[in-house]
Amino acid sequence: MKFISKIVLIAVIVVSPAVSFGQYCNYFHSKYCQPSENDMFKLNGQSKSALFAKGQTSELNIIVYKGQDYRISLCMDENLGAQIQFKVYETKKVKVEKIFETKTTEDEYKPCEDCNGEGTMDNESCYTCNGEGQNATGETIEVIDKETKIVTEKRKELLYDNSQDGFSSEIEFTVESTRRLTVEVTIPGGGSGGGKSKGKMMKSSDMGCVGLLVEHMTTPIAGFKGTGF
Amino acid sequence: MKKQIKLAATLLMLTPLVLLTSCGGDDPIEEPIEEVVEEVVEERNEEYYQIPSPDEMFGFIKESGLKFNGELLNDIQSSASYTDPTKQAMNFGVYSADLAYTAAYEEFNETTKYFGTIQKMADPIGISSAFDKSLIERAQSNLDNADSLVAITNTSYFAVVDYLDQNQQGDKLGIIAASGWLETVYIVANTTKYDSDKSAVDRLADQRLTLDNLLDYFTKYEDKEETKEMMGWLRELEMVFAQKETAEENSGSGISLKKKDNGKMVLGGSSEKKTSISKEQFNAIKDKVNEIRNKIVSTEEA
Repeated sequence: MKFISKIVLIAVIVVSPAVSFGQYCNYFHSKYCQPSENDMFKLNGQSKSALFAKGQTSELNIIVYKGQDYRISLCMDENLGAQIQFKVYETKKVKVEKIFETKTTEDEYKPCEDCNGEGTMDNESCYTCNGEGQNATGETIEVIDKETKIVTEKRKELLYDNSQDGFSSEIEFTVESTRRLTVEVTIPGGGSGGGKSKGKMMKSSDMGCVGLLVEHMTTPIAGFKGTGF
Repeated sequence: MKKQIKLAATLLMLTPLVLLTSCGGDDPIEEPIEEVVEEVVEERNEEYYQIPSPDEMFGFIKESGLKFNGELLNDIQSSASYTDPTKQAMNFGVYSADLAYTAAYEEFNETTKYFGTIQKMADPIGISSAFDKSLIERAQSNLDNADSLVAITNTSYFAVVDYLDQNQQGDKLGIIAASGWLETVYIVANTTKYDSDKSAVDRLADQRLTLDNLLDYFTKYEDKEETKEMMGWLRELEMVFAQKETAEENSGSGISLKKKDNGKMVLGGSSEKKTSISKEQFNAIKDKVNEIRNKIVSTEEA
Protein backbone atom coordinates (compact mmCIF):
# COMPACT_ATOMS: atom_id res chain seq x y z
CA MET A 1 0.00 0.00 0.00
CA LYS A 2 2.83 2.34 0.96
CA PHE A 3 4.51 1.59 -2.33
CA ILE A 4 1.37 2.53 -4.30
CA SER A 5 1.03 5.78 -2.34
CA LYS A 6 4.64 6.62 -3.13
CA ILE A 7 4.02 6.05 -6.83
CA VAL A 8 0.92 8.27 -6.70
CA LEU A 9 2.93 10.97 -4.97
CA ILE A 10 5.78 10.81 -7.49
CA ALA A 11 3.32 10.81 -10.39
CA VAL A 12 1.63 13.93 -9.02
CA ILE A 13 4.95 15.75 -8.67
CA VAL A 14 6.16 14.66 -12.09
CA VAL A 15 3.04 15.13 -14.18
CA SER A 16 1.43 18.26 -12.78
CA PRO A 17 4.24 20.70 -13.70
CA ALA A 18 4.29 19.43 -17.28
CA VAL A 19 0.53 19.88 -17.56
CA SER A 20 0.58 23.35 -16.06
CA PHE A 21 3.52 24.41 -18.22
CA GLY A 22 1.77 23.15 -21.34
CA GLN A 23 -1.39 25.04 -20.53
CA TYR A 24 0.60 28.13 -19.64
CA CYS A 25 1.87 28.17 -23.22
CA ASN A 26 -1.72 28.47 -24.41
CA TYR A 27 -2.11 31.69 -26.44
CA PHE A 28 1.54 32.59 -25.70
CA HIS A 29 1.93 33.94 -29.26
CA SER A 30 -1.07 36.26 -28.95
CA LYS A 31 -0.01 37.46 -25.49
CA TYR A 32 3.73 37.94 -25.92
CA CYS A 33 4.67 38.16 -29.62
CA GLN A 34 4.73 41.76 -30.77
CA PRO A 35 2.22 42.15 -33.61
CA SER A 36 3.01 44.23 -36.67
CA GLU A 37 2.58 47.98 -36.35
CA ASN A 38 0.78 47.81 -39.68
CA ASP A 39 -2.93 47.56 -38.84
CA MET A 40 -3.62 45.82 -42.14
CA PHE A 41 -2.06 42.64 -40.80
CA LYS A 42 -4.52 40.20 -39.25
CA LEU A 43 -3.88 37.30 -36.91
CA ASN A 44 -3.54 34.12 -38.93
CA GLY A 45 -5.05 30.92 -37.52
CA GLN A 46 -1.88 28.99 -38.27
CA SER A 47 -0.07 30.68 -35.37
CA LYS A 48 1.05 28.30 -32.65
CA SER A 49 2.51 28.20 -29.14
CA ALA A 50 4.23 25.22 -27.56
CA LEU A 51 6.38 24.14 -24.68
CA PHE A 52 10.01 23.72 -25.66
CA ALA A 53 13.05 22.28 -23.93
CA LYS A 54 16.59 23.48 -24.51
CA GLY A 55 18.10 21.65 -27.45
CA GLN A 56 14.72 20.87 -28.94
CA THR A 57 13.77 21.41 -32.56
CA SER A 58 10.18 21.52 -33.76
CA GLU A 59 8.53 22.21 -37.07
CA LEU A 60 5.40 24.08 -37.96
CA ASN A 61 3.94 23.39 -41.39
CA ILE A 62 1.85 26.21 -42.80
CA ILE A 63 0.30 27.28 -46.09
CA VAL A 64 0.98 30.74 -47.50
CA TYR A 65 -1.24 31.97 -50.30
CA LYS A 66 -0.45 33.86 -53.47
CA GLY A 67 -1.34 37.53 -53.33
CA GLN A 68 -0.86 37.83 -49.58
CA ASP A 69 1.82 39.33 -47.38
CA TYR A 70 2.85 37.38 -44.32
CA ARG A 71 4.71 38.27 -41.19
CA ILE A 72 6.11 35.50 -39.02
CA SER A 73 7.50 36.46 -35.61
CA LEU A 74 8.86 34.49 -32.69
CA CYS A 75 8.70 35.15 -28.98
CA MET A 76 9.85 33.01 -26.11
CA ASP A 77 10.38 32.82 -22.37
CA GLU A 78 13.62 34.53 -21.45
CA ASN A 79 15.17 31.46 -19.85
CA LEU A 80 15.38 29.87 -23.30
CA GLY A 81 17.87 32.51 -24.40
CA ALA A 82 17.71 35.29 -26.93
CA GLN A 83 19.20 33.60 -29.97
CA ILE A 84 16.62 31.12 -31.10
CA GLN A 85 17.29 29.80 -34.53
CA PHE A 86 14.55 29.57 -37.07
CA LYS A 87 14.64 28.43 -40.63
CA VAL A 88 12.00 28.53 -43.31
CA TYR A 89 11.81 25.75 -45.86
CA GLU A 90 9.55 25.09 -48.78
CA THR A 91 8.07 21.63 -48.41
CA LYS A 92 6.76 19.82 -51.40
CA LYS A 93 5.76 16.35 -52.34
CA VAL A 94 7.45 15.14 -55.47
CA LYS A 95 6.95 11.97 -57.41
CA VAL A 96 10.15 10.06 -58.02
CA GLU A 97 10.99 6.77 -59.66
CA LYS A 98 12.45 4.31 -57.20
CA ILE A 99 13.87 0.87 -57.82
CA PHE A 100 12.79 -1.73 -55.30
CA GLU A 101 14.84 -4.91 -55.00
CA THR A 102 13.42 -8.17 -53.73
CA LYS A 103 15.77 -11.06 -52.95
CA THR A 104 14.73 -14.67 -53.32
CA THR A 105 16.64 -17.96 -53.39
CA GLU A 106 16.23 -20.40 -56.23
CA ASP A 107 17.70 -23.76 -57.22
CA GLU A 108 20.76 -23.41 -59.40
CA TYR A 109 20.65 -24.93 -62.84
CA LYS A 110 23.40 -25.48 -65.37
CA PRO A 111 23.14 -26.34 -69.04
CA CYS A 112 23.33 -30.04 -69.73
CA GLU A 113 26.20 -29.47 -72.14
CA ASP A 114 28.34 -28.83 -69.07
CA CYS A 115 28.27 -32.59 -68.44
CA ASN A 116 27.71 -33.70 -72.04
CA GLY A 117 24.43 -35.32 -71.14
CA GLU A 118 26.09 -37.90 -69.00
CA GLY A 119 28.00 -38.40 -65.83
CA THR A 120 27.09 -36.64 -62.67
CA MET A 121 26.92 -33.09 -61.50
CA ASP A 122 26.92 -32.62 -57.74
CA ASN A 123 25.70 -36.19 -57.39
CA GLU A 124 22.76 -35.61 -59.68
CA SER A 125 22.57 -37.47 -62.93
CA CYS A 126 22.50 -35.50 -66.16
CA TYR A 127 20.86 -38.16 -68.25
CA THR A 128 17.36 -36.78 -67.79
CA CYS A 129 17.99 -33.90 -70.16
CA ASN A 130 19.83 -35.88 -72.77
CA GLY A 131 22.33 -33.14 -73.38
CA GLU A 132 19.64 -30.47 -73.78
CA GLY A 133 18.04 -28.03 -71.43
CA GLN A 134 19.19 -27.53 -67.83
CA ASN A 135 19.92 -29.67 -64.87
CA ALA A 136 19.78 -28.80 -61.15
CA THR A 137 23.17 -28.55 -59.49
CA GLY A 138 21.74 -29.10 -56.03
CA GLU A 139 22.91 -25.65 -54.98
CA THR A 140 20.77 -22.54 -54.38
CA ILE A 141 21.48 -19.08 -55.65
CA GLU A 142 20.24 -15.62 -54.60
CA VAL A 143 18.09 -13.91 -57.24
CA ILE A 144 17.42 -10.17 -57.11
CA ASP A 145 14.22 -8.92 -58.76
CA LYS A 146 14.13 -5.22 -59.56
CA GLU A 147 10.88 -3.30 -59.86
CA THR A 148 10.55 0.38 -60.67
CA LYS A 149 7.78 2.17 -58.80
CA ILE A 150 6.71 5.81 -58.66
CA VAL A 151 6.63 7.00 -55.06
CA THR A 152 5.89 10.34 -53.44
CA GLU A 153 8.69 11.89 -51.43
CA LYS A 154 8.66 14.94 -49.20
CA ARG A 155 11.42 17.39 -50.00
CA LYS A 156 12.49 20.51 -48.15
CA GLU A 157 14.34 23.43 -49.64
CA LEU A 158 15.87 26.05 -47.38
CA LEU A 159 14.56 29.55 -48.09
CA TYR A 160 15.59 31.51 -45.03
CA ASP A 161 17.88 31.05 -42.04
CA ASN A 162 17.77 33.71 -39.35
CA SER A 163 21.35 32.87 -38.27
CA GLN A 164 22.36 34.52 -41.56
CA ASP A 165 20.23 37.53 -40.70
CA GLY A 166 21.52 38.52 -37.25
CA PHE A 167 19.16 36.08 -35.50
CA SER A 168 16.22 38.25 -36.42
CA SER A 169 13.05 37.09 -34.68
CA GLU A 170 10.71 38.10 -37.49
CA ILE A 171 10.35 38.07 -41.24
CA GLU A 172 7.88 39.69 -43.55
CA PHE A 173 7.35 38.64 -47.13
CA THR A 174 5.07 38.81 -50.13
CA VAL A 175 3.94 35.53 -51.67
CA GLU A 176 3.90 35.31 -55.45
CA SER A 177 2.71 31.73 -55.63
CA THR A 178 1.04 29.56 -53.01
CA ARG A 179 3.50 27.48 -51.02
CA ARG A 180 3.65 25.00 -48.23
CA LEU A 181 6.28 26.19 -45.78
CA THR A 182 7.97 24.54 -42.83
CA VAL A 183 9.13 26.84 -40.07
CA GLU A 184 11.77 25.02 -38.05
CA VAL A 185 12.52 26.40 -34.59
CA THR A 186 15.57 25.29 -32.63
CA ILE A 187 16.29 26.19 -29.02
CA PRO A 188 20.03 26.22 -28.38
CA GLY A 189 21.61 24.36 -25.47
CA GLY A 190 20.43 21.17 -23.90
CA GLY A 191 23.78 19.32 -24.12
CA SER A 192 25.04 16.90 -26.68
CA GLY A 193 21.92 14.77 -26.50
CA GLY A 194 20.12 17.37 -28.58
CA GLY A 195 16.44 16.98 -29.09
CA LYS A 196 16.47 13.32 -29.84
CA SER A 197 16.81 11.78 -26.40
CA LYS A 198 13.75 10.30 -24.81
CA GLY A 199 12.88 10.42 -21.15
CA LYS A 200 15.73 12.79 -20.38
CA MET A 201 15.73 14.46 -16.97
CA MET A 202 14.92 18.11 -17.53
CA LYS A 203 15.10 20.99 -15.13
CA SER A 204 12.23 23.44 -15.12
CA SER A 205 14.67 26.20 -16.08
CA ASP A 206 15.49 24.27 -19.23
CA MET A 207 11.92 24.57 -20.43
CA GLY A 208 9.80 27.44 -21.60
CA CYS A 209 7.15 28.61 -24.00
CA VAL A 210 7.77 29.58 -27.60
CA GLY A 211 5.15 31.42 -29.62
CA LEU A 212 5.11 31.68 -33.39
CA LEU A 213 2.82 34.46 -34.51
CA VAL A 214 1.67 34.38 -38.13
CA GLU A 215 -0.05 37.47 -39.55
CA HIS A 216 -1.36 38.04 -43.05
CA MET A 217 -2.87 40.72 -45.25
CA THR A 218 -3.73 41.14 -48.90
CA THR A 219 -0.65 42.39 -50.72
CA PRO A 220 -1.10 46.14 -51.21
CA ILE A 221 -1.14 47.28 -54.82
CA ALA A 222 1.51 49.95 -55.28
CA GLY A 223 1.15 52.83 -57.69
CA PHE A 224 -1.87 54.47 -59.33
CA LYS A 225 -3.58 51.25 -60.43
CA GLY A 226 -7.32 51.67 -60.65
CA THR A 227 -7.26 55.38 -59.89
CA GLY A 228 -7.74 56.50 -63.48
CA PHE A 229 -4.23 57.91 -63.89
CA MET B 1 -2.95 6.74 3.82
CA LYS B 2 -5.34 9.65 4.24
CA LYS B 3 -2.42 11.87 5.17
CA GLN B 4 -0.54 10.85 2.05
CA ILE B 5 -3.54 11.53 -0.17
CA LYS B 6 -3.88 14.96 1.43
CA LEU B 7 -0.19 15.62 0.87
CA ALA B 8 -0.46 14.53 -2.75
CA ALA B 9 -3.50 16.75 -3.28
CA THR B 10 -1.74 19.72 -1.70
CA LEU B 11 1.30 19.20 -3.91
CA LEU B 12 -0.94 18.84 -6.94
CA MET B 13 -2.46 22.21 -6.23
CA LEU B 14 0.74 24.01 -5.26
CA THR B 15 3.24 22.78 -7.82
CA PRO B 16 1.57 24.38 -10.86
CA LEU B 17 1.32 27.64 -8.93
CA VAL B 18 5.04 27.60 -8.20
CA LEU B 19 5.80 26.93 -11.83
CA LEU B 20 3.32 29.41 -13.24
CA THR B 21 4.86 32.10 -11.12
CA SER B 22 8.34 31.14 -12.22
CA CYS B 23 7.36 30.85 -15.89
CA GLY B 24 6.31 34.41 -16.41
CA GLY B 25 3.16 36.38 -15.87
CA ASP B 26 2.59 39.84 -17.23
CA ASP B 27 6.18 40.98 -16.76
CA PRO B 28 9.26 39.45 -18.34
CA ILE B 29 11.24 37.10 -16.12
CA GLU B 30 14.16 38.88 -14.55
CA GLU B 31 15.19 36.58 -11.72
CA PRO B 32 16.72 33.20 -12.44
CA ILE B 33 14.23 30.43 -11.79
CA GLU B 34 14.90 28.46 -8.66
CA GLU B 35 15.32 24.91 -9.76
CA VAL B 36 13.24 23.02 -7.27
CA VAL B 37 11.65 20.44 -9.47
CA GLU B 38 13.16 17.92 -11.78
CA GLU B 39 10.78 16.21 -14.07
CA VAL B 40 10.84 13.49 -16.62
CA VAL B 41 9.71 14.78 -19.96
CA GLU B 42 9.69 13.13 -23.30
CA GLU B 43 11.90 15.56 -25.13
CA ARG B 44 11.36 15.04 -28.81
CA ASN B 45 11.06 16.90 -32.03
CA GLU B 46 7.47 17.74 -32.80
CA GLU B 47 5.90 18.39 -36.15
CA TYR B 48 2.78 20.49 -36.30
CA TYR B 49 0.54 20.76 -39.33
CA GLN B 50 -1.63 23.85 -39.43
CA ILE B 51 -4.75 24.37 -41.49
CA PRO B 52 -5.72 27.91 -42.51
CA SER B 53 -8.91 28.89 -40.70
CA PRO B 54 -12.08 29.30 -42.82
CA ASP B 55 -12.16 33.10 -42.43
CA GLU B 56 -8.99 33.48 -44.48
CA MET B 57 -10.61 31.82 -47.46
CA PHE B 58 -13.93 33.63 -47.11
CA GLY B 59 -12.19 36.99 -46.72
CA PHE B 60 -10.38 36.23 -49.96
CA ILE B 61 -13.43 35.18 -52.00
CA LYS B 62 -15.38 38.17 -50.77
CA GLU B 63 -12.57 40.45 -51.94
CA SER B 64 -12.60 38.56 -55.24
CA GLY B 65 -16.22 39.56 -55.77
CA LEU B 66 -17.94 36.21 -55.24
CA LYS B 67 -21.51 36.55 -53.99
CA PHE B 68 -22.97 35.03 -50.83
CA ASN B 69 -25.15 31.98 -51.41
CA GLY B 70 -27.17 31.01 -48.34
CA GLU B 71 -28.44 27.85 -50.00
CA LEU B 72 -25.03 26.29 -49.60
CA LEU B 73 -25.17 26.42 -45.80
CA ASN B 74 -25.93 23.26 -43.86
CA ASP B 75 -29.41 23.64 -42.39
CA ILE B 76 -29.20 24.31 -38.66
CA GLN B 77 -32.32 22.18 -38.15
CA SER B 78 -30.18 19.15 -38.95
CA SER B 79 -27.86 19.73 -36.00
CA ALA B 80 -30.03 17.75 -33.56
CA SER B 81 -30.05 14.76 -35.92
CA TYR B 82 -26.34 14.14 -35.58
CA THR B 83 -26.09 11.72 -32.69
CA ASP B 84 -22.99 9.74 -33.59
CA PRO B 85 -19.96 11.40 -31.91
CA THR B 86 -17.82 11.39 -35.06
CA LYS B 87 -20.67 12.80 -37.12
CA GLN B 88 -21.20 15.47 -34.45
CA ALA B 89 -17.54 16.47 -34.65
CA MET B 90 -17.68 16.57 -38.45
CA ASN B 91 -20.75 18.77 -38.50
CA PHE B 92 -19.34 21.00 -35.80
CA GLY B 93 -16.57 21.71 -38.32
CA VAL B 94 -19.13 22.28 -41.08
CA TYR B 95 -21.19 24.72 -38.98
CA SER B 96 -18.00 26.53 -37.86
CA ALA B 97 -17.11 27.13 -41.50
CA ASP B 98 -20.70 28.23 -42.23
CA LEU B 99 -20.47 30.63 -39.30
CA ALA B 100 -17.25 32.13 -40.72
CA TYR B 101 -18.93 32.40 -44.16
CA THR B 102 -21.96 34.29 -42.82
CA ALA B 103 -19.74 36.55 -40.68
CA ALA B 104 -17.43 37.38 -43.59
CA TYR B 105 -20.44 38.41 -45.69
CA GLU B 106 -22.09 40.27 -42.79
CA GLU B 107 -25.19 38.11 -42.84
CA PHE B 108 -25.95 39.02 -39.24
CA ASN B 109 -29.16 37.03 -38.78
CA GLU B 110 -27.55 33.89 -40.09
CA THR B 111 -24.44 34.49 -38.00
CA THR B 112 -26.51 34.65 -34.83
CA LYS B 113 -28.19 31.35 -35.66
CA TYR B 114 -24.97 29.57 -36.55
CA PHE B 115 -23.16 30.88 -33.48
CA GLY B 116 -26.00 29.51 -31.34
CA THR B 117 -25.83 26.17 -33.17
CA ILE B 118 -22.11 25.58 -32.67
CA GLN B 119 -22.45 26.69 -29.06
CA LYS B 120 -25.18 24.05 -28.56
CA MET B 121 -23.22 21.37 -30.38
CA ALA B 122 -20.11 22.05 -28.29
CA ASP B 123 -21.71 20.44 -25.26
CA PRO B 124 -22.20 16.86 -26.52
CA ILE B 125 -18.80 17.01 -28.21
CA GLY B 126 -17.27 17.92 -24.85
CA ILE B 127 -15.78 21.26 -25.86
CA SER B 128 -18.21 23.66 -24.24
CA SER B 129 -15.37 24.85 -21.95
CA ALA B 130 -13.82 26.47 -25.03
CA PHE B 131 -16.77 28.88 -25.14
CA ASP B 132 -16.30 30.96 -22.04
CA LYS B 133 -18.93 33.34 -20.78
CA SER B 134 -17.10 36.49 -21.91
CA LEU B 135 -16.84 35.17 -25.47
CA ILE B 136 -20.57 34.49 -25.66
CA GLU B 137 -21.37 37.91 -24.15
CA ARG B 138 -19.04 39.65 -26.59
CA ALA B 139 -20.63 37.80 -29.50
CA GLN B 140 -24.13 38.73 -28.39
CA SER B 141 -23.28 42.40 -27.97
CA ASN B 142 -21.48 42.67 -31.32
CA LEU B 143 -23.90 40.92 -33.61
CA ASP B 144 -24.29 44.03 -35.77
CA ASN B 145 -20.64 44.95 -35.98
CA ALA B 146 -19.02 43.25 -38.97
CA ASP B 147 -15.37 43.54 -37.90
CA SER B 148 -16.03 42.46 -34.33
CA LEU B 149 -18.16 39.59 -35.50
CA VAL B 150 -15.44 38.20 -37.73
CA ALA B 151 -12.97 38.62 -34.87
CA ILE B 152 -15.29 36.84 -32.45
CA THR B 153 -16.03 33.94 -34.79
CA ASN B 154 -12.27 33.60 -35.23
CA THR B 155 -11.72 33.70 -31.49
CA SER B 156 -14.28 30.95 -30.97
CA TYR B 157 -12.69 28.84 -33.71
CA PHE B 158 -9.19 29.29 -32.30
CA ALA B 159 -10.50 28.61 -28.77
CA VAL B 160 -11.86 25.24 -29.91
CA VAL B 161 -8.63 24.39 -31.76
CA ASP B 162 -6.56 25.34 -28.73
CA TYR B 163 -8.80 23.50 -26.28
CA LEU B 164 -8.64 20.24 -28.23
CA ASP B 165 -4.92 20.63 -28.80
CA GLN B 166 -4.19 21.19 -25.12
CA ASN B 167 -6.44 18.33 -24.06
CA GLN B 168 -4.75 15.75 -26.26
CA GLN B 169 -7.79 15.36 -28.51
CA GLY B 170 -5.86 15.77 -31.73
CA ASP B 171 -7.98 13.17 -33.53
CA LYS B 172 -11.18 15.11 -32.84
CA LEU B 173 -9.44 18.35 -33.78
CA GLY B 174 -8.38 16.79 -37.08
CA ILE B 175 -11.94 15.71 -37.86
CA ILE B 176 -13.32 19.18 -37.05
CA ALA B 177 -10.59 21.00 -39.01
CA ALA B 178 -10.89 18.68 -42.01
CA SER B 179 -14.69 19.02 -42.10
CA GLY B 180 -14.45 22.79 -41.77
CA TRP B 181 -11.92 22.89 -44.57
CA LEU B 182 -14.09 20.65 -46.79
CA GLU B 183 -17.10 22.91 -46.18
CA THR B 184 -14.97 25.91 -47.13
CA VAL B 185 -13.83 24.23 -50.35
CA TYR B 186 -17.43 23.14 -51.03
CA ILE B 187 -18.70 26.71 -50.72
CA VAL B 188 -15.91 28.14 -52.88
CA ALA B 189 -16.27 25.43 -55.57
CA ASN B 190 -20.03 25.96 -55.77
CA THR B 191 -19.83 29.76 -55.83
CA THR B 192 -17.02 30.04 -58.36
CA LYS B 193 -17.68 30.31 -62.08
CA TYR B 194 -14.76 28.69 -63.84
CA ASP B 195 -14.72 31.05 -66.81
CA SER B 196 -14.89 34.34 -64.93
CA ASP B 197 -13.44 33.83 -61.42
CA LYS B 198 -9.81 33.05 -62.20
CA SER B 199 -8.37 33.97 -58.80
CA ALA B 200 -10.92 31.81 -56.99
CA VAL B 201 -10.16 28.92 -59.36
CA ASP B 202 -6.46 29.32 -58.57
CA ARG B 203 -7.19 29.40 -54.86
CA LEU B 204 -9.20 26.22 -55.21
CA ALA B 205 -6.34 24.52 -57.04
CA ASP B 206 -3.97 25.62 -54.25
CA GLN B 207 -6.03 23.65 -51.75
CA ARG B 208 -4.00 20.62 -52.75
CA LEU B 209 -1.27 21.92 -50.44
CA THR B 210 -3.67 22.33 -47.53
CA LEU B 211 -4.87 18.80 -48.20
CA ASP B 212 -1.24 17.61 -47.95
CA ASN B 213 -0.97 19.26 -44.54
CA LEU B 214 -4.21 17.62 -43.42
CA LEU B 215 -3.12 14.18 -44.56
CA ASP B 216 0.24 14.56 -42.84
CA TYR B 217 -1.55 15.70 -39.69
CA PHE B 218 -3.74 12.59 -39.74
CA THR B 219 -0.85 10.12 -40.05
CA LYS B 220 -0.39 10.45 -36.27
CA TYR B 221 -3.96 9.25 -35.78
CA GLU B 222 -4.35 6.73 -38.58
CA ASP B 223 -4.87 3.86 -36.14
CA LYS B 224 -7.86 5.58 -34.58
CA GLU B 225 -11.16 4.16 -35.72
CA GLU B 226 -12.83 7.61 -35.64
CA THR B 227 -10.46 9.12 -38.20
CA LYS B 228 -10.51 6.30 -40.76
CA GLU B 229 -13.60 7.45 -42.64
CA MET B 230 -12.35 11.02 -42.94
CA MET B 231 -8.87 9.90 -43.99
CA GLY B 232 -10.41 7.69 -46.67
CA TRP B 233 -12.34 10.63 -48.08
CA LEU B 234 -9.31 12.88 -48.03
CA ARG B 235 -7.24 10.28 -49.87
CA GLU B 236 -9.95 10.01 -52.53
CA LEU B 237 -9.82 13.77 -52.92
CA GLU B 238 -6.02 13.67 -53.07
CA MET B 239 -6.28 11.33 -56.07
CA VAL B 240 -8.49 13.86 -57.85
CA PHE B 241 -6.12 16.73 -57.08
CA ALA B 242 -3.13 14.58 -58.13
CA GLN B 243 -4.49 14.46 -61.67
CA LYS B 244 -3.58 18.12 -62.05
CA GLU B 245 0.10 17.64 -61.25
CA THR B 246 2.49 18.51 -64.01
CA ALA B 247 6.08 17.65 -64.66
CA GLU B 248 6.96 21.23 -63.80
CA GLU B 249 5.57 20.84 -60.30
CA ASN B 250 7.64 17.75 -59.77
CA SER B 251 10.89 19.40 -60.74
CA GLY B 252 13.13 21.34 -58.38
CA SER B 253 11.51 24.63 -57.53
CA GLY B 254 14.45 27.03 -57.54
CA ILE B 255 12.32 29.38 -55.48
CA SER B 256 13.73 31.85 -53.04
CA LEU B 257 12.89 34.25 -50.29
CA LYS B 258 14.74 37.32 -51.41
CA LYS B 259 14.93 40.90 -50.37
CA LYS B 260 13.93 43.27 -53.16
CA ASP B 261 15.34 46.76 -53.61
CA ASN B 262 12.70 48.22 -51.33
CA GLY B 263 13.84 45.87 -48.55
CA LYS B 264 10.71 43.74 -48.78
CA MET B 265 11.09 40.01 -49.06
CA VAL B 266 9.34 38.17 -51.84
CA LEU B 267 8.63 34.48 -51.92
CA GLY B 268 8.78 33.58 -55.55
CA GLY B 269 11.21 32.12 -58.01
CA SER B 270 12.21 31.08 -61.46
CA SER B 271 9.93 28.10 -61.69
CA GLU B 272 6.88 29.81 -60.32
CA LYS B 273 4.22 27.38 -61.31
CA LYS B 274 0.86 28.08 -62.83
CA THR B 275 -1.73 26.75 -60.45
CA SER B 276 -4.59 27.05 -62.89
CA ILE B 277 -6.55 23.93 -63.55
CA SER B 278 -8.58 22.93 -66.57
CA LYS B 279 -12.36 23.12 -66.51
CA GLU B 280 -12.51 19.32 -66.37
CA GLN B 281 -10.17 19.25 -63.39
CA PHE B 282 -12.16 21.99 -61.69
CA ASN B 283 -15.38 20.01 -62.18
CA ALA B 284 -13.76 16.77 -60.99
CA ILE B 285 -12.60 18.44 -57.76
CA LYS B 286 -16.00 20.06 -57.29
CA ASP B 287 -17.86 16.76 -57.84
CA LYS B 288 -15.67 14.89 -55.35
CA VAL B 289 -15.97 17.63 -52.73
CA ASN B 290 -19.77 17.71 -53.19
CA GLU B 291 -19.91 13.95 -52.80
CA ILE B 292 -17.87 13.96 -49.56
CA ARG B 293 -19.69 16.97 -48.14
CA ASN B 294 -23.06 15.33 -48.77
CA LYS B 295 -21.92 12.27 -46.84
CA ILE B 296 -20.84 14.47 -43.92
CA VAL B 297 -24.05 16.46 -43.63
CA SER B 298 -26.47 13.61 -44.34
CA THR B 299 -28.66 13.01 -41.33
CA GLU B 300 -28.77 9.57 -39.82
CA GLU B 301 -32.45 9.07 -40.73
CA ALA B 302 -31.75 9.85 -44.37
